[in-house]
Amino acid sequence: MTMRERSGGGILSGTEEAQGPRLRLHAFPWALLLMIMAVGGIGLLTLYSAVGGAEKLPLLINQAVRFSVALLLMMVLALLVDRTIYLRYAYLFYLVALLLLLAVYLSGSVGMGARRWLDLGFMRLQPSELMKITLVLALARFYHDRSIAGSITWRDMIGPVLLTAPPLALVLKQPDLGTAILIAMAGMLVLFVAGLRWRVLTGMLVGIGAAVPLLWNTLHDYQRRRIETLLNPENDPLGSGYHIIQSKIAVGSGGISGKGFMGGSQGHLEFLPERHTDFIFSVLAEEWGFVGCSILLLLYAMITVRGMIISYTARDRFGVLAAAGLTAIFFFQVVINIGMVLGLLPVVGIPLPLVSYGGSSMLTLMIGLGVLAHISIHSK
Amino acid sequence: MLEDDQERFKDEARRRLIIMGGASGFLFSLLGGRLFHLQVLKGAAYRDMAEENRISMHPIPPHRGRMLDRFGAVLVENLPDYRLAIIPELSGGLSTQLERLKPYLDLSDAEIKAALDRARRQRSFLPFKVKDHLTWEQIARIEARIHKFPGAVIEALPLRTYPFESTAAHILGYLGENTKRDRKRFRYLRYRSGDLVGKTGIERSFEPRLRGREGVREMEVNARGRQVRELHSSEPLPGLDLHLTLDVDLQHQAELALGNQAGAVTAIDVRSGEILAMASRPGYDPNQFIRGFSTKQWQALLADRDRPLTNKAIQGQYPPASTFKIIVALAALEAGVIDPEERLFCGGHLERYESKFYCWNSYGHGRLNFQQAMAKSCDVYYYRVAERLGIDAIEKQARRLGLGELTGVPLGGEKKGLIPSRAWKMSTLKRAWFPGETLISAIGQGFVLSTPLQLANMMATVANGGVLYRPTLVREENPSQPRIKRRIDFNETHLATVKRSLEAVMQRGGTGYKARPHMVRVAGKTGTSQVVRQRRTKEGRAIQDSGGNQRLQDHALFVCYAPAIQPELAVSVVIEHGGGGGAVAAPVAQRVIDHYFSCPIRPERSGGRA
Repeated sequence: MTMRERSGGGILSGTEEAQGPRLRLHAFPWALLLMIMAVGGIGLLTLYSAVGGAEKLPLLINQAVRFSVALLLMMVLALLVDRTIYLRYAYLFYLVALLLLLAVYLSGSVGMGARRWLDLGFMRLQPSELMKITLVLALARFYHDRSIAGSITWRDMIGPVLLTAPPLALVLKQPDLGTAILIAMAGMLVLFVAGLRWRVLTGMLVGIGAAVPLLWNTLHDYQRRRIETLLNPENDPLGSGYHIIQSKIAVGSGGISGKGFMGGSQGHLEFLPERHTDFIFSVLAEEWGFVGCSILLLLYAMITVRGMIISYTARDRFGVLAAAGLTAIFFFQVVINIGMVLGLLPVVGIPLPLVSYGGSSMLTLMIGLGVLAHISIHSK
Repeated sequence: MLEDDQERFKDEARRRLIIMGGASGFLFSLLGGRLFHLQVLKGAAYRDMAEENRISMHPIPPHRGRMLDRFGAVLVENLPDYRLAIIPELSGGLSTQLERLKPYLDLSDAEIKAALDRARRQRSFLPFKVKDHLTWEQIARIEARIHKFPGAVIEALPLRTYPFESTAAHILGYLGENTKRDRKRFRYLRYRSGDLVGKTGIERSFEPRLRGREGVREMEVNARGRQVRELHSSEPLPGLDLHLTLDVDLQHQAELALGNQAGAVTAIDVRSGEILAMASRPGYDPNQFIRGFSTKQWQALLADRDRPLTNKAIQGQYPPASTFKIIVALAALEAGVIDPEERLFCGGHLERYESKFYCWNSYGHGRLNFQQAMAKSCDVYYYRVAERLGIDAIEKQARRLGLGELTGVPLGGEKKGLIPSRAWKMSTLKRAWFPGETLISAIGQGFVLSTPLQLANMMATVANGGVLYRPTLVREENPSQPRIKRRIDFNETHLATVKRSLEAVMQRGGTGYKARPHMVRVAGKTGTSQVVRQRRTKEGRAIQDSGGNQRLQDHALFVCYAPAIQPELAVSVVIEHGGGGGAVAAPVAQRVIDHYFSCPIRPERSGGRA
């Protein structure tokens, strides 16, 4: 660190820009990339089995291509981008994502039923996925130049609440409860790391706890019934409850070492619904057993820890907060999805990161990881 | 300073990151622990379940709610339907067994072929239907020899049954297999394929209440899918019974009174808006919808020019003809454009706007006062009144009494009728209102259309002094919607004048006199609505030639309430192409009213026996 760099504490300080961008390949978190590729590889193998082998090869190739493109995108976002770009344009990215979300809302209300995506021709983009990333960046940007260490008060929260509420409402309206919960949780986590006072945190949790019964009373009978089913699948053993029971059997029957690649019976019969998307973990668990699951869990944990280390060593506040938030999104998705498959959490539609079939989720996760790597490259 | 702040921030953030790390570590180990529990500790048990025994779910259909009439008579119920089914893997040669069953079940070759088809489409341990709706005779024949047919079972399934057959069929509705549209309409009821859903009538409008909630039986089945034992089951939640306002006796009488004529009869309790009878003829037997039609029967129903599938009481739109004079009379008194004692001259027609407006009696009625004009249903009198009144006042009064709007009866497909106005004509026909049309409207012809239910409800409102009800079919303790649509503030004197004139209709010299009920004094109004423009002789006499073509005959209408003092019942009758209202429609009402007031055991009508 030169003196010049240390003293230039402003937002747009830095010396690299003056010398022009250069590839900092040595600083790239190669280990992170390796872990991501390992998870992606496991994902492709599991998907191959889940969709029924060679018959559905196009589906698999599709996913493999998407994974490669996403990896490339991650590298580009990490290496070829100016140091301050995410900080400078955080609000702009947020605004774009919000407009896309609004566009989906409007086109959805013109057409019929729930629509979550925009058709880009080559893929369907879910702006709600994009929103997860951009909201975290916007919140990190918000606290970047505020003096708030460990003492965010109610007043410092007006901005973040105003940033979070519109996308949250739009996503809930879709309706996509899972993504909405993720957005809210990621937002909360950025606030927490930024220094939300414990008192305020407790107050918020109590407030949420108090609002639930009030909200409950305003619901219609049939809406309540839906939520009850969501919370207690035993009420609905032929609907979502069925998923849980069958998924538990698939996971449990895998035992310690699993039934071997392509050897699962549950996943191949019609017992497992959504087996190549949200419930893909149960296919993996049945065929690879406890050993295979532990390896995947370990990889996920390592990626999470790596993300936290990036946050820990980040150059500036924006870096700290953004890295923490992006890591949290990744981590929450893992926990919610696997918790759901194992029957610990209610069924909400959240894909398993880097493993579930689907483009939008894969792409946005890799964008997030790319920004994370970018922060890592430019850390001290 | 800034640097300090940055460092302080980072210190705190790092502390918090460590907390976050701890929390995520905890959550990861929770997942790991759960995996260990499921896969290592319980792995063997789950492996058994997966490889030898699997859990399968069997839905148990809920018991659909029944429908009862106001005195507790069962109008719709579920009776066991017996069918023969075979479990293929136990049968030892399916086609030979079906061949052997043929004489006992009176199976046709087509039925055998269909049964084999069904068997092919499902797994061999599951029973498939061979024939349903078995008669007692068939059951007896097969039951005695069931041991000769391994794998054959007689199953009882609930069958929606309408014991009164075609009586009230249009109101009760019928069931059919759910379609995409039904699933969308009742999104939260969750149908599976083949489930029956209400298609029309009350079966549809009260579907959520009648249906109940499906139960489930969780069975352990072996690798081949055979049931090993029952693990767990949740009982279905039965649908709720509905107590209807209908009086099935009265309904039946109304339908008998209509006989073979196409038309509708509606009877409403004027004190509550409860519909006691609502008949529409011709009808159909809803049981056929459940048991299935032959193509021929179905084609015949669809092709019938008298539209048996239509509920004419709410979907038939007819010119109200002279019954509309009640509206004009009320409007005229209210506007003060006539004095009840004032006599207006009828010479058989009125020349206006360069054309002749005829009275139905082309010989003319001479000079008539208000009451006489109503009793004789003089058209020229009402032309003259309408001239003074104008279309706007007529329209306003008609709308007040619920014409031209949905009554809100809880049945699908209700029609609104039509009350013309200047604005309506301009926007739909792009023409200005023509003054002659006011005269035609005043006698309920021209553009004016109304449903029989609207007319009955209008009569009920006149009878009860101005309360316009939303007619109901289901008795509820806590009606979710207010039953009173509005209270009309009639001038007592005007209303009494109109009521007296309606009584005069049923007295000597009135158009309804011949068909006056015997049990009770009635106030009513006849109507005869032209279907086609009448041809006339040079002298202006109408040529009564329907040319043998019944389709060109007039619609006959009659509306009334009874008793004239302290009314209880309002009735409307419309008979398509029946002829004159007094001669054809009024006798139908007569029969319904006589029946209603002659039954001694209904002292407490509002309470009911049920």
